[in-house]
Amino acid sequence: MRTKASIPEAGMGGQTRTRSKAGHEKRVNGGIYALLVIMSVIWLAPFVFLIFQSFRSYLTETGGMVDYLLPKNGWSLDNYAFLFEGSDFFSWWGSTLLASIVLGALQMGILALIKREVNKRDASEGKTQYLFLALSLLVVFVLSAAACVILHGKPDSLILSALPALVLYMAAGYVAGRFYLKQDSRLLQSIPGYPVETPLDKAKKIGGLGALYAGVIAIVMCIIKPMNASQYLIWYGNTLTIALFVAVIQTVIVLSVSYALSRIRFKGRKLIMNVVLILGMFPGFLTMITLYFLLKQLGLTQEGAVPGLILIYCASSGMGYYISKGFFDTIPKSLDESARIDGATRLQVFYKIIMPLAKPIVIYTILMAFMAPWGDFVFASYVAFGKSNSYNVAVGLYRWVNVNDYQGYFTRFCAGGVLVALPITILFLCLQKYYVEGVTGGAVKG
Amino acid sequence: MTDLEYLSYSKWKKLLVRTGNFFTSLPGKCGNGLKKLGLKVLNFFMNLFTSLKGLVTTFINGDWKTRLSYLVMGFGSCARGQWGRGILFFLFQTVFNLYMVNFGVAYLSKLNTLGVVETYKEGRRTVYGDNSFLILLYGILTLFFILAFLYTWYLNIKQNRISEEILKSGKKLKTAKDDLKSLADEQFHKTLLALPTLGVTAFTILPILFMILVAFTNFDATHQPPSKLFTWVGWDNFRQLLSSDNASYGGTFGQVLLWTLIWAFFATFLNYFLGMLVAIMINKKGIKLKKVWRTILVMTIAIPQFVSLLYVSKMFAADGLINGYLMRWGWITEPLPFWTDPIWARVTIIVINVWIGIPYLMLIATGILMNIPADLYESARIDGANAFQMYKRITLPYMLFVTGPYLLTSFTGNINNFNVIYLLSGGKPLSMNLSGNAGYTDLLITWLYKMTVNDTNYKLAAVIGILVFVVTAVINLIVYNMIPSVKNEEDFQ
Amino acid sequence: MASVSLRHIKKVYENKVEAVHDFCLEIRDKEFVVFVGPSGCGKSTTLRMVAGLEDISGGELYIGDRLVNDVEPKDRDIAMVFQNYALYPHISVYENMAFSLRLRKMPNAEVHRRVCEAAEILGITEYLGRKPKQLSGGQRQRVAIGRAIVREPQVFLMDEPLSNLDAKLRNQMRAEIILLRQKLDTTFIYVTHDQTEAMTLGDRIVIMRDGFIEQVGTPMEVFEMPTNIFVAEFIGAPKMNILKTRLVKENGRYYVTPFGTRIPVDGERAQALEKKGVGTKDILLGVRPEHIVLSAPGEHAIPCTLEVNEMMGSELHLHVKTADETRLIVRVPTINLEGDDRTNMNFGKPLNLTFESKVMHFFDPDSQKNLLV
Repeated sequence: MRTKASIPEAGMGGQTRTRSKAGHEKRVNGGIYALLVIMSVIWLAPFVFLIFQSFRSYLTETGGMVDYLLPKNGWSLDNYAFLFEGSDFFSWWGSTLLASIVLGALQMGILALIKREVNKRDASEGKTQYLFLALSLLVVFVLSAAACVILHGKPDSLILSALPALVLYMAAGYVAGRFYLKQDSRLLQSIPGYPVETPLDKAKKIGGLGALYAGVIAIVMCIIKPMNASQYLIWYGNTLTIALFVAVIQTVIVLSVSYALSRIRFKGRKLIMNVVLILGMFPGFLTMITLYFLLKQLGLTQEGAVPGLILIYCASSGMGYYISKGFFDTIPKSLDESARIDGATRLQVFYKIIMPLAKPIVIYTILMAFMAPWGDFVFASYVAFGKSNSYNVAVGLYRWVNVNDYQGYFTRFCAGGVLVALPITILFLCLQKYYVEGVTGGAVKG
Repeated sequence: MTDLEYLSYSKWKKLLVRTGNFFTSLPGKCGNGLKKLGLKVLNFFMNLFTSLKGLVTTFINGDWKTRLSYLVMGFGSCARGQWGRGILFFLFQTVFNLYMVNFGVAYLSKLNTLGVVETYKEGRRTVYGDNSFLILLYGILTLFFILAFLYTWYLNIKQNRISEEILKSGKKLKTAKDDLKSLADEQFHKTLLALPTLGVTAFTILPILFMILVAFTNFDATHQPPSKLFTWVGWDNFRQLLSSDNASYGGTFGQVLLWTLIWAFFATFLNYFLGMLVAIMINKKGIKLKKVWRTILVMTIAIPQFVSLLYVSKMFAADGLINGYLMRWGWITEPLPFWTDPIWARVTIIVINVWIGIPYLMLIATGILMNIPADLYESARIDGANAFQMYKRITLPYMLFVTGPYLLTSFTGNINNFNVIYLLSGGKPLSMNLSGNAGYTDLLITWLYKMTVNDTNYKLAAVIGILVFVVTAVINLIVYNMIPSVKNEEDFQ
Repeated sequence: MASVSLRHIKKVYENKVEAVHDFCLEIRDKEFVVFVGPSGCGKSTTLRMVAGLEDISGGELYIGDRLVNDVEPKDRDIAMVFQNYALYPHISVYENMAFSLRLRKMPNAEVHRRVCEAAEILGITEYLGRKPKQLSGGQRQRVAIGRAIVREPQVFLMDEPLSNLDAKLRNQMRAEIILLRQKLDTTFIYVTHDQTEAMTLGDRIVIMRDGFIEQVGTPMEVFEMPTNIFVAEFIGAPKMNILKTRLVKENGRYYVTPFGTRIPVDGERAQALEKKGVGTKDILLGVRPEHIVLSAPGEHAIPCTLEVNEMMGSELHLHVKTADETRLIVRVPTINLEGDDRTNMNFGKPLNLTFESKVMHFFDPDSQKNLLV
């Protein structure tokens, strides 16, 4: 929202000059409250029902669809238990969590040490410190990996997970360390009025690092699948893998395209935009069979459905540049020009100037890209056809309802749905602000 | 008629004049459009001609390195020390030649028949003949490849000419390192767009072309490669879908299209006005807990549709919660036919879609309401407007103006709104009156999906897809020409 | 420090609009040149071509001895201050100023030294830690200038840097730019639409219209000897009065005859006219408002009535109408008024005007050119 105009009380606004008017105002507000309450009930009811029904036991009562709401034989967690049946999910995550806490604590400690070291010397000679940082992180990692082995008792899978995790972990540590070094260099501290780091900033930084770390672990685990999983967990893992990869790749692609189309005037720019406009008018499922066949040629259907879906979701994502281009268009062009005169290449302008300013739209794009694969049913079922280990949650749960329904899978669907909806909803509500910014911007600019 | 005269007309007369203008200007606009298109085509050929002429003159004026490059791509670049470029050119040529010799030529030569050798059984062994699917697909791919090659070849020659000119003027040529550097700067857009373009070409343009061509073949359940061949049939499929005799799909197509448009209309405008109303209510001064109301409504956006819609569709089923409770309370004796009666099903879908759609519109409307300059309202109040007049004269026009383009995209989006229909009713109830397995709540897009997945009637699916495109394009064209706000962005600012 | 030379520079946009035609100008080392003209005259386009932000469609541009037509902006060793300042909103003032130096991989200590020095010069040291958003317009302006100074560029470009400031601040910043220029002693190219800025800042002024250079000269030259009516009207405020009249040559003496009077032309002007061989002809006569004086009725006096009186404090701007409905502006120092004139300058008051020959400008009515040039 760009301007801070007060919210217009269109409709029923107006000055309350007399008493009768005030009364009228009160009645109107009362009516609105009543309407809003009714709406809220309607809006929330299905979700509440969903949760209620997920607690009806499919063992002792019935798992099918029934025409009553509350469980008659008491509330039970049987459906949820079923979702995790046969997996060592909890013990696995418990130990991983423990390991990551150890890891995180050690990392914080090392960073604090480095910080002290840096403050002693001059920050301008940074290179050796990065080396020191990287080495110490390596030590931390080896230590904590050992801890993991002991805790998990599964060395082979851990070695598998250790390599990619190590790379990612070092990268994260590098970024974090750089952040610290920059913040604390003495020269900057000597500047008058330079903002002092508040406890809140520190908390945010630590939280960010934690989230980064959790993300890294999650991706690695999704790829390597070190634990025994139930069917539901496999679907969940598939969807999570797809969503994470799509979120990253699609965001990069969308931002690249929209930046290029918004900021750089090159030959063929109009042509590209027109072609995308025309392509967008073809219905999406028209090409489903061709895409399926293309994937099949590449060996990315059925068993390979997960990478296949990632490929398909990302391949055409460049066409969804519209909203973020609208956002880029609002960033003054003179910033680019100024940076270019200051000596930045276009690449540097992109990631040093425009990206930090485009944070809301970056988050919006990530959010959208992350959420879309959770709901995709059609193409996912087509590509994974017949191989239940390649399903995503949407396909799996849809089959529970529509194919296995009369075997009483309805309550299990409810439980599965709750577990899918919960994290997504929380994520969405946390990032609601950016979502609103994105949709309004997109709608207003067309 | 002068502008001033027009301004003095009453509202209805203005509308009349405007509509009249639209229709009288239609031929002119079409003419202009055609003229522009013609000019563009002409321009294209002119450019092509000059390029060709350039090729000849470059050959005549060029040195031997340039001339040899006509045969061996990248030779000139290598000979002038631009190894990076030269090797890339040469590699591309090699790959192209290998591809053409090994696959391309064979597929291209069969493209006109889509294969003639049938698959047959020799005892227990199946001997595979031609695969029409592969021939069509790789045929298109080869055509793409040839175009790309021709363009690269042209670039290669142009490169030679430019290099010669640069050397003549005594400057230095760019090294491979300079080229790489320029990809992060002057040529940065190429870096940014390379991957997305490749992706869109391979996974959008190629499949769409393929399906457009499939619409002209008899590719269906009885002609499935690799066991069976399919071939070109011209406009037969279009005739089958659109003609109205009994054996064809004409009637069904008409019904489905009609329902698609009705659905899109309601899904767009009902949501739009209700969403705006809700936004106005929540944002009214004096209403507390704004954030809470908003968050509650937004839940339907946050929760994945396959969970919420599947659950709701079960709630409304004949043996579902709603019917169960209504019968137990004695309000009804028979279950309400939410999904079995055509009219009920259609209304139910539209109503449930309101549940999904209002929050979205509410968010958008809230954002826009905040952006309406407050002084507009102040000035209206001083001019003596009451609340309703302010809504009618300021809020509504502003909203409509600002969201005009959004309404358009939303309408076309709803034409293709697969999820809601598929997850709620699956197109049901089915009917004997409709052919091609279509149900009363099927949209063109869900019908297309059924054709593809259930009937494997790819040829008709392709035709439907093309028709959806035509419908969308026509609506877009009309709206772009009629609504000023789509084009004109300055008015309300 | 370097000279800039623009040789036959042209700008043609893709839609075939020619924004700048054949622009030739040699800017000496350490010179302060101002491009001035109404909006759309091509002054900003020219500056942006010097900066490298616009492609040059034709001609050659040299900075120092180097041909820079195809050189990227970052390699031209120039700095530019934008109209809207173009400060990077997400980083502190310090980092804003250090941005270009960091890109050059300059050692931290040197960066720090330069930033602090520039901040000292501009008096923004205490704001270094803030984000641009927390600054006022004038402070932002200083940061923008500071960001340019730290680079120690060969050429300093400024694109209407003061037009976003309010009047008072603008005057103050103008003075500061003059001071800054003494300190930095480098080549400046400054674009503005405001003739006052042009006059006060420039060593030389380039007046442009519709993509053409109308006149190049020192402030004194363009004020005293405008080459045509456009320049004459553009420079000076309120703008010059242009009267349709006739120049009469009788017995080797020149007269102008506005509104039926007969004012002799003598001194330098007459000699110059004689030299150019000008005979009796219709001309456009230009007289600046400050050169018209109120007089008693008489042979040389032009009778007129007062329409509007703008009291500016130290002076009055009188808008008057002559008998044939021509409107003139007269600028009268308040101190020169006495008695009745001082208190009773109201609508409809009859006045008599006159002016001397040494302040007249003679323009050809067809070519609009100055007859004396």
